[in-house]
Amino acid sequence: MKNEITLQTRREFLRRTVLGSSLAWTVPAFLANTFTALQAESADSAIQTPTGRDATILVVLQMAGGNDGLNTVVPYANDFYHQARPRIGQKAEDVLKLNGEIGLHGAMKGFKALYDNGQLSIVQGVGYPNPNRSHFRSTEIWQTASDSDQVEKYGWVGRYFDNACPGADPAVGVVIGSTLPESFFAAKPKGIVFNNPQNYRFMANGAATEESYKKLNELELSSPLPEDNSGGSIAMLPAGMPMTGGRAVDFITRTALDAQHSSEEVRAIAARVQNQAEYPPSQLGGSLKMVAKLIAGGLPTRVYYVSQGGYDTHTNQLGAQQRLLGDLAESVKAFTDDLKAQGNLGRVLVMTFSEFGRRVSENANGGTDHGAAAPMFIIGNQVKAGLLGRYPSLAPADLFQGDIKYNVDFRSVYAAVLENWLKTKSAPILGKQFIPVPVV
Amino acid sequence: MLKPLASDRWNYAAAAHLLNRAGFGGPPADIAQLAVLGPDQAVSFLLDYEKIPDLTPNPDWARPNPDEVRQYRESIQKAATPEEKKKLQQAEQQTIQLRMQQLRGWWLQRMARGPRPLQEKLVLFWHGHFATSFEKVRNPYYMWRQNELFRRLAAGNWQELLTAAGQDPAMLVWLDQAQSKKDHPNENFAREVMELFALGEGHYTEHDITEAARALTGWSLDPSTQKFISRPRFHDDGVKTILGRTGNFNGDDFIRIIVAQPQAGRFITAKLWNYFAGQIPSPDLNEALAAEFRAHGNNFKPFLRAMFRSEEFYAPEIIRNQVKSPVQWLVGSVRLLECELPPTLVSYGMLRQLGQDLFAPPNVKGWDGGITWITTNTLLSRYNDAQALVEGTLPPLTAGDFARKEGGAGGVKAMKALSRVRMGGVDVGKILSPEQRTDKVTIVAALENRLYQTTLNPEQEQTLREFLAAKTKMSDADIVTTIRLMMSTPEYQVT
Repeated sequence: MKNEITLQTRREFLRRTVLGSSLAWTVPAFLANTFTALQAESADSAIQTPTGRDATILVVLQMAGGNDGLNTVVPYANDFYHQARPRIGQKAEDVLKLNGEIGLHGAMKGFKALYDNGQLSIVQGVGYPNPNRSHFRSTEIWQTASDSDQVEKYGWVGRYFDNACPGADPAVGVVIGSTLPESFFAAKPKGIVFNNPQNYRFMANGAATEESYKKLNELELSSPLPEDNSGGSIAMLPAGMPMTGGRAVDFITRTALDAQHSSEEVRAIAARVQNQAEYPPSQLGGSLKMVAKLIAGGLPTRVYYVSQGGYDTHTNQLGAQQRLLGDLAESVKAFTDDLKAQGNLGRVLVMTFSEFGRRVSENANGGTDHGAAAPMFIIGNQVKAGLLGRYPSLAPADLFQGDIKYNVDFRSVYAAVLENWLKTKSAPILGKQFIPVPVV
Repeated sequence: MLKPLASDRWNYAAAAHLLNRAGFGGPPADIAQLAVLGPDQAVSFLLDYEKIPDLTPNPDWARPNPDEVRQYRESIQKAATPEEKKKLQQAEQQTIQLRMQQLRGWWLQRMARGPRPLQEKLVLFWHGHFATSFEKVRNPYYMWRQNELFRRLAAGNWQELLTAAGQDPAMLVWLDQAQSKKDHPNENFAREVMELFALGEGHYTEHDITEAARALTGWSLDPSTQKFISRPRFHDDGVKTILGRTGNFNGDDFIRIIVAQPQAGRFITAKLWNYFAGQIPSPDLNEALAAEFRAHGNNFKPFLRAMFRSEEFYAPEIIRNQVKSPVQWLVGSVRLLECELPPTLVSYGMLRQLGQDLFAPPNVKGWDGGITWITTNTLLSRYNDAQALVEGTLPPLTAGDFARKEGGAGGVKAMKALSRVRMGGVDVGKILSPEQRTDKVTIVAALENRLYQTTLNPEQEQTLREFLAAKTKMSDADIVTTIRLMMSTPEYQVT
């Protein structure tokens, strides 16, 4: 079936289509050569993805730096724990007890409330085989969902977009920050990135300048966008990686178009929507506050990405982690309150991750060194609440080089989120079939 | 081996490409000068930079300061009250931050105004390659010293540079080698040499790393002189097996073994090719590059000469197909617009916002580069920073960005400092001759040549002409806005 296209100019086309409809965003990039194909693709309802206006939404929350899981979900009744951590161990009377053995760090009252409401699922002992203790490598493993001895070019969220969201609006992914996380790297990159909606725009001294800017940035591509768009990026430089085709300027042209249109949409929502909860005045609080607005404003987003840094607590961990976990719990609690007031809590799921946990034994500086497995938090109205999986053994004989061993592969959690929440097959995205952990 | 570019293919466009890649670009007069020289002399002009005097004075604090460091530490320890202690700590931090800011400005000025652009471009390469961050090193003198090391050996010998980089104080702190002792060898530096600096993943085993870490024990830092020291007491003088070779190796032996691996030549030449040519080389090309490097005794200067003279370097898929790094964008703009670099506080804010915080790469892997520089956010920031640059106004994000980084009080201070900042902006008289200014067609053509060394597509040209046509006077301000618009295009983001 071939659709007749009556299209004078791309510019006119852009003006006529409704912003945010699946075609308005994607067609310009492909127009010159693949318009017809895309039209057909989009008309095929079998692969049309629901948008964030009505579908489920995932919020990925990165705890960067390697959060100390043992002092977050605390095995307060475990003697090995206290022996390994005479100075920084959390005492039984200070933790927020979940049962006779496990408690949350005392600063996480917001999470305790979610737990008591049946809105918090804690997956214990999450990691992967042959753990890597390098920040960037382990982050990369989590972001790309690769085996630890393999380097993947694309991120797991990016592969979700490639596999399950063809022809989707670029705002199918939104990153609050300034750079694109590796999990969003994709063969056909999607996703908009910004940190401050006020500044997320072209600043023009006059209407004529703005008009000219728009015309200059709505242009045909010199060549079709290549399937593989990693040209010039040197993520790991494995020997013999092939030269990739395509012009860099085409990628930028598409990004420019995405920027132009998403900027208008984002600022309109930011100005229109009011938050309905009080957030902490932190960076994470601000990011989640923005995400809540965008959800209320009906952006067609499936995956949001926010991050909180500072978890690399080699020295004087107690105060730093207290502040970070308190901020995390308060921010996420405010976010869920806000979504509840909006009536959107039922279709939003928050998932946290950190590149690794930390060594069981504290170090000489009142901190902890890079470790391995750690818990993940899944938050939402439809989670399977409670503690999932087993707490890894802390008995010295059970440790590997001073680290606890993982019980749950993080990709089993990703698989659950992909299959049971985003409603797509996980194997094509994760490279193989992982058995989903029943978090949702 | 590489094929040399035929002399008859040398022209203005080729000269522009060379200046853009082996330097930070420049105004039409500079390109024309290179074009006239011919390819051999043009490459030599950029590469044999030691013939050009560089009289840039060092920052006045750029010398060892162990006494100062000790005095700060002792007075902080002796502080009578917590308030006093805090005050002293803040004073030390302020000194450190001020020096880092001076260091950033010092280097940016060298890139933007210095007489040896290729040397500075190589320093930037080595900084990204050995990706050492001030965030951990916390000592401006060490950061300056490492920067000077890269400058001194920028086009030198690989074994010499790799050894010197390993014995560099900032690196000894950054990858914890200074603390590595026989009883507890620290594997960080050994691992990164193999994985990120010299071989790449898949070309060594975990066992090689453990053994190399043993060989490296004893490489340490003497705080009393702030220099490298070899400590025999820390050194494990047992037998090690590294990459199939067995012996009583030390750190120097380890580096020698690494550099002798055929993979070492492939790895570093591929990375240099990617940096200068903007592509990951095909396996065949990579072999040719590595052969060239080997034939020249693992010396970078003759290798770079062959590379910049090669036909491959001027291939159509190479030309104007590299995303400008934020530094290339800023420094290149300043050079080709013949304007002043914005004050360091502003330049620093722009680069941070665009994703390239000098002296603070995101991790030991350095900046990913390529299309990862471009997001919807950084692209709009480039467009808005262009306005600040050409009009001499403050960019929108600098103050807020700085405030977040420095905390509330620092932010207020930064705002105050910024309100006093004066920026130059573009002097249209320097950019356009009276003849070029006669009508909108010649203006757009002259600006295209200056900004892209090629033309935009006809619709874009038409847009620019219409913009100018609506301005009856075509004043300096109108032309400045036109330049900003031309910088606010996808085409300006590549080189």
